[in-house]
Amino acid sequence: MTVTAKILLVDDDPDFLDMHKAILANHGYEVITATSGGEGMERVRTDMPDAIILDLMMEKHDAGFSFSRQIKMDPLFKRIPILMVTSVAEATGYRFSLQEDGYWMKTDDFLDKPVKPEVLLERVERMLKKSREAP
Amino acid sequence: MTKPAEILVVDDEMGIREGCKRALNRLGYPVDLAEDGAVGFRKVQEKQYDLILMDLMMPGIGGLDLIKKVHDIDPEIIIVVITGYATIETAVEATKRGAYDYLPKPFAPETLAVLVKRGLEKRELRLEARRLLHEREQRLLELAGEQSRLRTIVGCMADGVLVTNLERQFVLWNAAAVKMLRLSGTDEPGRPLSEYIKVPSIDEALQNILSSKDAGLAMISQEIRLEDPELVLMAQMAPVRDEAGTLLGAVTVLRDITKLKEIEKIKSQFVSMVAHELRSPLAAIEGWLDVVLSGAAGDDERKKEAWLERAKERAHSLLALVNDLLEINKIEAGKVALKMESVQVADIIRKLVDFLKPEADRKALSFTIRMPDALPTVQADVQDMEKLFTNLISNAIKYNVDKGSVTIEATVDAQYVGFHVRDTGIGMAPEHLPRIFDDFFRIEDKRTSKISGTGLGLTIAKKIVDSHFGHLEVKSRPDQGSTFSVFLPYQKRTK
Repeated sequence: MTVTAKILLVDDDPDFLDMHKAILANHGYEVITATSGGEGMERVRTDMPDAIILDLMMEKHDAGFSFSRQIKMDPLFKRIPILMVTSVAEATGYRFSLQEDGYWMKTDDFLDKPVKPEVLLERVERMLKKSREAP
Repeated sequence: MTKPAEILVVDDEMGIREGCKRALNRLGYPVDLAEDGAVGFRKVQEKQYDLILMDLMMPGIGGLDLIKKVHDIDPEIIIVVITGYATIETAVEATKRGAYDYLPKPFAPETLAVLVKRGLEKRELRLEARRLLHEREQRLLELAGEQSRLRTIVGCMADGVLVTNLERQFVLWNAAAVKMLRLSGTDEPGRPLSEYIKVPSIDEALQNILSSKDAGLAMISQEIRLEDPELVLMAQMAPVRDEAGTLLGAVTVLRDITKLKEIEKIKSQFVSMVAHELRSPLAAIEGWLDVVLSGAAGDDERKKEAWLERAKERAHSLLALVNDLLEINKIEAGKVALKMESVQVADIIRKLVDFLKPEADRKALSFTIRMPDALPTVQADVQDMEKLFTNLISNAIKYNVDKGSVTIEATVDAQYVGFHVRDTGIGMAPEHLPRIFDDFFRIEDKRTSKISGTGLGLTIAKKIVDSHFGHLEVKSRPDQGSTFSVFLPYQKRTK
């Protein structure tokens, strides 16, 4: 880890907020949290995070999608990479992948809950590296 | 013929009568005699004869008249006319009127014997013919009855039935089919299918069946979705063949499975909802365990302990959720299993309040209970009542503000005992009220996020009240608390 980065967690489940925060903070990241899409938007405007980890299922079932769309449509914020995490997955018959759904989901990466700590760290690092290298 | 033929001789000449009798007796036939037409006719009325020998020229009723009268009684009686040469024309006339043959006088016994034998054979044939005719008529009648029975059966069926012939014309259908497919113009049968039916998939499938060369094709079964009326039909289509296997047409049976489809959809929605509700806490538990085991968030023992505590809390809430699901299943599956007895609900509530007091003390809540002593008892299942009021009272505690209060009151009207659980808690916005009894519905905001719950408590409460023929009412406004009122019917004492 060379440069510390500021990461915004948006999730309505306090367990995942605290869990991901503990993991990321332990690896030197600055972590800010929000429990709704609205609050998340606010934090994006005020804190300008370097990456966002977003839960798909927030208060309304498509809140994750509209939040990420809002970010990616905004010229100011569209460069912030978004990692979508969710527990919708196979259990409910949905299955997303970046290859197939990335174009419309407007996120940069996608993971199923629960995320292994090492996977979370690796993906966040990769995402940050890619966004730094981007022109 | 097992029984010898009965013969009657009608003649006014005693010589002839006796002569015939002797000759015929010798051949084994019993013979009755009549001396004139009137007597003869009476005898025919009294007894069934196979053959009558009669003289045409008799006083009183003449032979010609007698022929008609006899045949009115039994058209198959063989009549042989005895006649003199002088009246041969009359004899011919007699055969025209139904006599079988004539015997000119005088005649030899052998001639008589031959004629009688032939006549009786004829009688036998005629009777057989009549029996066959009767049988055929009976069969036709039965067939007509069978057809009308078939129509009635088909007509009464709730499933739609359509029968088409090889030319794809309707030949048989019922009211259910007319209703399901909105068939029009069925009062004019015999036109091509497409003129009645506006569902291309049925038309196509029938075409497939009727044009199939495959003699083994037994049935096509397919689901058909209709727009107007909005129905889902299960269509079973099968070829109709005769004994030799030649295709005659096709029969289509339509079952309305719209309700079934709806239930399936609701079931699958419920399953997916449950799966999600179960998956979230499980994922959280696994996540915390991973954090502790991997050491990815540091090795501080006190922090680790706190994380395990978080995992345990989620496990606990998951268990509560599973218990609630089982509870719902129990209520829905076993309405008959309710153990109904006379219950004084107020006693149950007092006990529950004592039990829940420690939870309330943590928020420094005050309890007020105002219930008259002589409340009528209700027919209820004690365990269900405990579950119902536990849910309502613990909600009143959980969603209350610190130092708030919980008030429980009882009222009685003409039919119902009402129990009202009122809190001074955070209340609910009007837009949320219609959904609070939905499965897994929870109001999610800053203030409820720390309150654990399965989202099934009120679902269960509602189901319990419903299964006791009562009703559940709620009044609430944000920041002004909520009041849940349970109304249970009671039996008035008749004495």
